[in-house]
Amino acid sequence: MLFWGVIVWMIVWGVAGSILIKRRYLARDLDTSNANFVGAMAGASLGPVGIAALWTKTPKSSNFLIVGLGLLTVLLVAVTFSFADPENICVTSGGFVASQFVNGLIIGIIYGFMALGLSLIFSILGVVSFAHGEFYMIGGMLVYFITAVWIPGVPPLLAVMGACAIAFVIGAVFERLMLTPMYHGKIDRPVEYGILVTFGLAFTLQYFVQALAGANPVKAQRFLSFPRWSWPEGADPVWIKTSRGSMTLFEQVSISSPRFTAAITCILVLLALLYLLHRTWTGKALRAVSQDREAAAIAGINPDRMNMLAFALGGMIAALAGALLVQAFSWLPQVGAIPAMRSFVIVVLGGLGSLPGAFVGGIMVGLVEAAGTGCVPDPQKAASYIPAYGMIVLTLTLLLRPTGMFGRRFASGAHGQF
Amino acid sequence: MTIPTRRLSLVASAGVLALSTGVAWAQDCPIKIGGMAPLSAPGTVVGGEAMRDAMLIAEEDINAAGGVLGCDIDVVIGDTEGLPEKGTALMEKFISQDGVVAVGGGYHSSVGVASKDVADRLQTPTVFAETWNDTITGDKQKYIFRIAPLSSWASSTIWKHALEIPGVEKVAILTENTDYGIPAAEETTRGLESGGKEVVTFSVDIGTQDYAGIVQRMKAENPDMIIVLATGEAGYNFQQQAADAGIGSLDMPFHAGQVSLESKAYWENVPDGNYAFVQRIGVPENLFTEEGKAFAAKYKERTGKDAVESYAMEAYDSIAIIAQAINEAGTTDADAVVAALEGIEHNGTLGKIYFPYGSGKDPSEDGHGDEYWHQWPDVALTVIQYQAEGENSGEATIVWPDAYKTGDPIFVNQ
Repeated sequence: MLFWGVIVWMIVWGVAGSILIKRRYLARDLDTSNANFVGAMAGASLGPVGIAALWTKTPKSSNFLIVGLGLLTVLLVAVTFSFADPENICVTSGGFVASQFVNGLIIGIIYGFMALGLSLIFSILGVVSFAHGEFYMIGGMLVYFITAVWIPGVPPLLAVMGACAIAFVIGAVFERLMLTPMYHGKIDRPVEYGILVTFGLAFTLQYFVQALAGANPVKAQRFLSFPRWSWPEGADPVWIKTSRGSMTLFEQVSISSPRFTAAITCILVLLALLYLLHRTWTGKALRAVSQDREAAAIAGINPDRMNMLAFALGGMIAALAGALLVQAFSWLPQVGAIPAMRSFVIVVLGGLGSLPGAFVGGIMVGLVEAAGTGCVPDPQKAASYIPAYGMIVLTLTLLLRPTGMFGRRFASGAHGQF
Repeated sequence: MTIPTRRLSLVASAGVLALSTGVAWAQDCPIKIGGMAPLSAPGTVVGGEAMRDAMLIAEEDINAAGGVLGCDIDVVIGDTEGLPEKGTALMEKFISQDGVVAVGGGYHSSVGVASKDVADRLQTPTVFAETWNDTITGDKQKYIFRIAPLSSWASSTIWKHALEIPGVEKVAILTENTDYGIPAAEETTRGLESGGKEVVTFSVDIGTQDYAGIVQRMKAENPDMIIVLATGEAGYNFQQQAADAGIGSLDMPFHAGQVSLESKAYWENVPDGNYAFVQRIGVPENLFTEEGKAFAAKYKERTGKDAVESYAMEAYDSIAIIAQAINEAGTTDADAVVAALEGIEHNGTLGKIYFPYGSGKDPSEDGHGDEYWHQWPDVALTVIQYQAEGENSGEATIVWPDAYKTGDPIFVNQ
């Protein structure tokens, strides 16, 4: 009762803050792009006091203010929850909370990484790839077949690299054959064409793999088995303890080897990708095309080549996510459907075309799912609602910031002739 | 202009008549029987493929033995995807487009619950092979039969076995939120609670892959035993992730989902799955009937598997019993086939199959509930335990009940 009372209070003042602060910023001819969000968070966390302060001062909506008010709101929800349900395991066990947090963070990094590929494709080509889940599936299938069927005993790293290379080539060839006509004015309705043709690729890949490999679940062996080890010896609690399949931190947080290797690899590849995009000519060219295709073309960049590179890279990123997770999950030709759906949620949440937004959005969805699974009092409902947690965050974000967290008002992507 | 038009109409009418006669003749032979199976995710594809192979072997065997009413039979396989809406659409298609005279197979309870109403409405005899939900027969529909066990029987096998495991005071159940999982979890909970055990249930969507959060929460509940009531690869995913977190079958008594009977896929997907208990329908292979032995040999040769799964045997029997009923009825007329099924004694791979309760005798006359309507009552239910890595389910130790026991269970918590 207490919890829902506070939530209703927060909603009422959040809505009031969102409306009032936007009007106030408009009246003062200030930037209103974040006024809804700031007003809602100030109302939700501080009630009329927060709204009055913003109304009076009308400060610039800095990142500090946005993040600060957002965190304050989350904190208020958490504190209220702890008073309303003091016996909940999320309140009584710090170790459990840490465990759920680490789980959410790890899976969020992987979600974000996969969504990054989708966002990269959209930011350059302006196409929402509905074949993203199938690239994810192909990555995993290839690693399984390379390590277990075609070349048993091959190091998993080589298999992962092989899978990425094949996915890259599939993406490049598909883009050149099927998407290039969009950029030369040969297609009347390029947006719809882009959707349909990637849908076609998705079905083709899925059923092609099913025809070749069958529909039985397969799984690659874990890439890395930890040695039995603990450190420091004799400490209570032991800080790090490893067994064959998992690592335990402070005797509370358990991380399985497949998730650990997947998350670390995603972070390393993300850093490499950031280097590519920000420190190399090719990366700068990609970003230039993303910002203004015509200006990039005038500067000597071949946008068609960048399109091909972006689609191939995006597909390869999804394939890499799959290649890393095939050691964690059972793999089927249809395995990409749920991750693809989640990627769509994440890219919209982060802002269409925004690479940082995709990554941050992924982590946010991972954490929210972990919080929901761990803290919803009824265990029967906690796990059933996993897909809904991300949707709730997405809905709230879009209500307050229709462009997503990091989205630009006008996303790029030229579908027609220059 | 009028005369040629009339002539044309007459010629056309004659043509239509001739064609329709031809079509009618073509529909008679071969006799089409629908075969439902989940052949795509989120359905249990390993189960579906096994059932498909079994139903096609049944078709071959029946045709080799002279067919039905002098015709070959044609088993039309359809994919339910494990989804109720796909199941109803498939049933409609079977009956309205493919022209089947009866339907066999079926794996997921939710599909059976949804599609049985279509079959009954369109008056098509249907023998469900592996759908457990009690209401499938409990609705007492004229055209619906079942040779799979009732969900309540299957659940009682699990909880009765769990009550005999020493050191178990608290049980965690992972169930799928479907027409199979929810009632099965409720039945199992009631049974365990009747034995004084504490139960906590976690329900998930059928296609869930990532169980990290659920596993941690389950671990925090500190259970002494885990029971999985999830079909398909969801069971594999959960079991291995639980093992990674230290609450798998190597750490505590663990009752795995029925899909774990598919040994090759099981060991590939759950490498840390030794000592898991799995429910199995049917008697052990050394007690198979002659029909069961013949089918097992053919099935193993066809699929390259080392063991035959119970749902494959059920699927085979569901087609074979329909064929026998049509032969005994002497017609494909639905009401005559239902009458034949109600009086049938079929020597199947699973044993002698018959339906003691139906329009001739209500289950209440013997004190049974409505779920006994058109239900084969003698389904054998056993619990096996994998006791060596890579072991074949057909050779695994039967640990419960005593009547079929082939060895002692290993309790990893002792």
